[in-house]
Amino acid sequence: MTPDPMPPAGPSASTTSAKRWLRMLLLLPACYAFTWGGVAFGIAGLVAMGVDYHEAEMALMLLAFLVFVPLFLWAFASAHLLRVALVLAGGAAGLPAAAWGLQRLLLN
Amino acid sequence: MSVHFRQAMTWLHTWMGLLLGYVLMVAFFFGSLSVFDREIDRWAVPQTRFEAQPLPSYDRVLAPVYARLRPHPVDMAATQDRVIGPLPHPDTMPMSSLYAYTTHRDPVLAIGAEFDVPNKLKDDTDEHAHVHGWATVDPRTGQFLPNDQLKIGSEWFYPMHYSMHLAWNNLGTWLVGLASLGLLVALVTGVVMHRKIFREFFTFRPGKQTRRSTLDLHNLTGVVALPFHLFFAFTGLVIFASTVYFPLSQSLMKPLHDRHEVLEARHTGLPHEPSGTRAGLASVDAMVAEAKRRWAERDMPGEVGLLTINHVGDANGYVSLYRAGSDQVALVGQAIHFKASTGELLREEPAPSAIGSINEFLTGLHLQHFEHWLLRWLYVMGGLMGAVCIATGFIFFVEKRKQQHARTGSPGSRWVDAMAVATVTGMVIAAVGMLVANRLLPADLAGKGEWEKQAFWGLWLLALLHALLRSGPVARARINPAWREQCWVLAALCVAAVVLNAVSTGDHLARTLFLQTYWPVAGVDLSLLATAGLAAWAARKLRVRERRVAQAQPAPPAEAAGAGEVAHV
Repeated sequence: MTPDPMPPAGPSASTTSAKRWLRMLLLLPACYAFTWGGVAFGIAGLVAMGVDYHEAEMALMLLAFLVFVPLFLWAFASAHLLRVALVLAGGAAGLPAAAWGLQRLLLN
Repeated sequence: MSVHFRQAMTWLHTWMGLLLGYVLMVAFFFGSLSVFDREIDRWAVPQTRFEAQPLPSYDRVLAPVYARLRPHPVDMAATQDRVIGPLPHPDTMPMSSLYAYTTHRDPVLAIGAEFDVPNKLKDDTDEHAHVHGWATVDPRTGQFLPNDQLKIGSEWFYPMHYSMHLAWNNLGTWLVGLASLGLLVALVTGVVMHRKIFREFFTFRPGKQTRRSTLDLHNLTGVVALPFHLFFAFTGLVIFASTVYFPLSQSLMKPLHDRHEVLEARHTGLPHEPSGTRAGLASVDAMVAEAKRRWAERDMPGEVGLLTINHVGDANGYVSLYRAGSDQVALVGQAIHFKASTGELLREEPAPSAIGSINEFLTGLHLQHFEHWLLRWLYVMGGLMGAVCIATGFIFFVEKRKQQHARTGSPGSRWVDAMAVATVTGMVIAAVGMLVANRLLPADLAGKGEWEKQAFWGLWLLALLHALLRSGPVARARINPAWREQCWVLAALCVAAVVLNAVSTGDHLARTLFLQTYWPVAGVDLSLLATAGLAAWAARKLRVRERRVAQAQPAPPAEAAGAGEVAHV
């Protein structure tokens, strides 16, 4: 049996790889949900500050991907799993709710 | 920067790059072809090989054309599924809105309309039941072009680029969006992985071992066109953001969106709904003349690029004229709206806001309808560099692992390599093969366009099967001969396409270059010949390399390739 030329320290290479796959596949929809909420809240917030709706929408469409990519990279690389989970879950739940609430306020 | 962080970024770059690279290749290659989509249309539809035309007179030429336009059978079928009860006869459906669109590169005019449907809708949230009709018109005569003439550039290669023709629930657009996101991630992680970015601009060692030279080329094409790749991935996502990726206006924020629409209609004086009272149409030509006068007065004389009429035949009807963007980045702009029944000016659009300008600029740069041929060619070069970056990524992935996989018996490299052949040479074979089919099939064949599409998919599938069947050597750490064989097939197809064009239309290169110069067709022919030359050269080089690899002694586990490479998992 040829010895592995680069024996990794700690968990085996395949365990790390499997964990990373799982993390990547979970984080993509999670970061998407967070960004969705952020865009909604951003639109509602700008409209509340007097910005025209379509202007607000356009601005957030530009910002959305500038948020999504760094968020995803941070969530993937971070060693603090609990922090990542709290931020993403909190945002994905809280931001759309906040947007919805603000929208109701603006329409009444 | 911690080792852990760099390793995590490297892993992401490798695996997101591999997984989504196949989709990205399609987006980049067909995106590059799309720069010259209308020119490819001219090649594929010889009846349209004449000079670009401005928008013709509405009163004399277009009015009778719209009177003859009917709901399209394809959309009739699609709409039937969305309504309760049978749809009325297409001849009886009233037209509610229409458009005409042209650019500085269009000999023919694209027109369309919406027709009102009296039926109730199955889905309550589906507003305004309409059936669409569309057609292509010769603006010199008002004649419709036959329906089966597939515009291979603008109707096949271009939508392939952003949707891969997977229309079900926008699945294809979602996949391309995911791939674009993957590209943004790959670009950022690529920068994180490589410590000597500046040096990589100037490093290419083609004489070295495949792994080294491939990685050099991958870095070079990634780094030299980095702003281009970043920009196109980002703007591509922004273009579809509000309708596909973050359609908040149609979901969570719909109440706020709808209120804005009503307020905007009041503010602009452009009615959102028809009144229900019938009214005629004043002279649209007079409105066009007035619009041109106003644009000239603002120091921006121009042609009409987009004409729309909303609430056709209704007292609330209005005509909107948008200035063609040949000399600016925005596709169309400076809209002027007139009351349809009287020709009275309703509204002249003010200059866009800061956000509006940024948005117009970014999307306009991606879609490039402006008149600037050098920049157009630079776009093609950028797109092809992106394709080379992805292709060399695949090749490097395989080269790095195939020795190890040959020892352990893993089929991974073999599969990745075969898929890479299909996505690189196979894809180009499918595209060029479609052009060959276009020239071989009789011009009056019913459903010619459908046959051409089958030829495209069929050739691509054959290329994949061929790559899989020939992939045995990869399991022994050698080169898949399918690369070389498909290069030869591609070269032959390119030459065949040029010859068939000359034979079937008489527009050989001597004519299109010198006798009756016609650049759209000459350009496609010359590009095909250049591709043939490149493919033949590549095939010969591959032959040399294949022999060299086969003759070499079984290599010991490969040493690290030097600075710039990072440990992989």
